[in-house]
Amino acid sequence: MTTTVTTCPLARPTLRAVLRWETFKLRSQRRTAAVLLGAALLPIPVAVIIHGQARPPKDTLFGRFATDNGFALALLILGFASQWVLPLLTAVVAGDIFASEDQHGTWKTVLTRSASRGQLFWAKTLTAGGFATLVLGLLAVSAIGSSLLVVGHDPVTGLSGQIIASPSALRLVAESWASMLPATWAFTALAILLSVWSRNPAVGIAAPVVLGMVMQLVGALGGIEAIRPLLITTSYESWHGLLTQPSFIGPLVQGAAVSAVWTAISLGTAFVLLRRRDITGG
Amino acid sequence: MTSTSTDPRQLSARGPDLAVEAVGLCKAYGPVIAVDDMSVQVATGEVYGVLGPNGAGKTTFLRMLFGLVRPDAGTIRVFGRTWEDDDIGVLDGVAGFIESPRFYPYLTGRQHLDGLALLDGGHPPELVDEVLEVVEMGDRAHQRVGTYSYGMRQRLGVAASLLREPRLLVLDEPANGLDPGGIRDMRALVKRLAARGLTVLLSSHDMDEVEEICDNVTIMSRGTVDFHGTIARLRTMAPDPGYALATADDTRAQEIARVFPGLRVGPGHGTGLTVVGPRPEVTAYVARLVQAQVELLSFTPTRTPLEELFFMLTDVDADRAASA
Repeated sequence: MTTTVTTCPLARPTLRAVLRWETFKLRSQRRTAAVLLGAALLPIPVAVIIHGQARPPKDTLFGRFATDNGFALALLILGFASQWVLPLLTAVVAGDIFASEDQHGTWKTVLTRSASRGQLFWAKTLTAGGFATLVLGLLAVSAIGSSLLVVGHDPVTGLSGQIIASPSALRLVAESWASMLPATWAFTALAILLSVWSRNPAVGIAAPVVLGMVMQLVGALGGIEAIRPLLITTSYESWHGLLTQPSFIGPLVQGAAVSAVWTAISLGTAFVLLRRRDITGG
Repeated sequence: MTSTSTDPRQLSARGPDLAVEAVGLCKAYGPVIAVDDMSVQVATGEVYGVLGPNGAGKTTFLRMLFGLVRPDAGTIRVFGRTWEDDDIGVLDGVAGFIESPRFYPYLTGRQHLDGLALLDGGHPPELVDEVLEVVEMGDRAHQRVGTYSYGMRQRLGVAASLLREPRLLVLDEPANGLDPGGIRDMRALVKRLAARGLTVLLSSHDMDEVEEICDNVTIMSRGTVDFHGTIARLRTMAPDPGYALATADDTRAQEIARVFPGLRVGPGHGTGLTVVGPRPEVTAYVARLVQAQVELLSFTPTRTPLEELFFMLTDVDADRAASA
C-alpha cells in the first residue's frame, strides 16, 4: 500500500528567477567582462589605424572610402565583423553556457533543485541570446561612434554610386548593423546546440566559428546558387540592398527567415537532447 | 551466491508513511546493467543506508530518485509522487547531493546559496545564515568555492541541501574523500539532522558508517539487492569476529587452540595466525596463551563481523580473487 504523504510544496521558481541566476553567473565570470570590453573598445584602434593608412583597402566593400569617410569605415568594420568576429564573440558564451555545466559537473547541482530542465534551458538560451544582442549592440555603437569621431561624418557614396546625406547614412548604417541580429541569433542557437551535444566548451565555442568559415567558403563557390540562400552567412550580406538606389529588402527578409529556421531547428534539437539525456557525469 | 534478503515488496505493511518506494527499478548503460530489479522502501523519519562496493548501483539508484537518470523499467515514488505524474514536483521536500557536491569555482559559498535559493523559488534571507551556521561555514562563506577544501565543499553541499528545508535528505557517500576528522564531523552532522526528524537516505561503501548511523539498510552488489532489513537483523546474521595473531611460537599457540572447540585458528595471510570465533572464547584463548607463557607479539582485529558479512553478501573477496 502506498499513501501519498502530504508535504508542503516548494514554490516553483519563475523563468525570470532562473534567468536571474543565469545572468548572475554570467556577470560573475571575468571572460564576460573581457568580451564586452573588447566589443566596446576594439573598434576604436581599428578606426584610428585604418584612418591613418595612406592607401585604402580598395578591394573590400566600402574600403575605397574608408580612410576618409566615417560611414564607409563603419560599414567596412561591419563586413569584417560579420566574417568571424560575431560568430566568435557570441559563441564565447553560447558555446559554453551548457557545456560548462558538464565541465564543472554542476548539472546535478541545479537539476536537484525546483527548476525544471525546460526552465533551465530557456533561461540559458535567453541569457546567451541577450549576451549576443548586447555584444552586437556594443560593437555597433563603438564602430559607428569611433568611425564618425575619428574619420568624420561627410555624406557617403552608396553601392549604386548615389550620394547619401549624413542623416540618412547614419540611419542606414545603423540599420545595416541591426540586420546582423537574426544571423547572430542563428549562430548563437547553433553554438547552443553544439554546447549541449558535445558537452565540451571548446567544441561549443570553436565549432560555430569553423562552421561559419566553411559556410563562407561554400557560399563563394560557383554552381551552388540553390544552397547559398540557405546559409547563415549569406544573411550577413543582406544589408547591401539597403545601400543601393533603389534599395531592396528581399535578401533581408529571406536572410531573417533562413536565420529563424536555423535558430528554431538548433534550439529544438538542443532542447530535446537536454530533456532526454541522462546526467551521469560529475 | 545465495543471499539472505528480505523482499522489500513484503514490507509495505510497515506503514503508510513512505518517503521512498522503488519497485522493480532497472537501468542499463549499453551492455552494462547498473541496476537490476531493485526494490527499496524508506519509511519517513528513518536513517536508511544503501550499502555496496563501487559499481554496485547505489549512485545510479540515487540519480534515478533525483530524475537525473531515467529508469529503463520500474517505478520510483518519493512521498507518493512520481516523475511521470509530477515532474519536478517529485523533489518537493527532497534535497541532497550525488557523489561529491559540485559548485562553480568563481562564485562564493554565499553566492551559491543565494543563487540556488532562486532555483528553489526563493527562501527567507535569514535561512542562508542559518544553514551556514549548521555546517559551521559562516566565516568562509564569502570566499570563492575554488579556494575550498574537499571537506568544505561537502559541507557547503549539505548547507545547499538544508536550504530546501527537506523532509528527505539524500547523501551519496557523504564521508567519501574526507579525512578522519571530517568523517567524524560529517557523521555527527547526519546524526544531528536525523535527530531533528529528517528522513536520511545515504549511500556508502563503509559498513562502519552505516552501522553507526542507519536504522535500516539495503546491501547491493552488481546492481542487485542482496539484503534489505534492519541493522539489528544484520547483526544477528554476522559471522564471528576475526583477529590476526602473531606469537613467538605459533605452533604452540595452535596446540593450545584445540582446547577451544568454538575457535578456528589457522595460518594467517603472510605471517602469524588468524583467529575466528565468539568474543568470550577468543578472550579466554588469549588469557590461556599468556598463562602458558606464549609470547604475544601482536593481536589485532581484522574485520568487524558486519564487515565480514558485507563481504560475504557482496562477494567482493571472490571478485578480488578472480581479478587477481
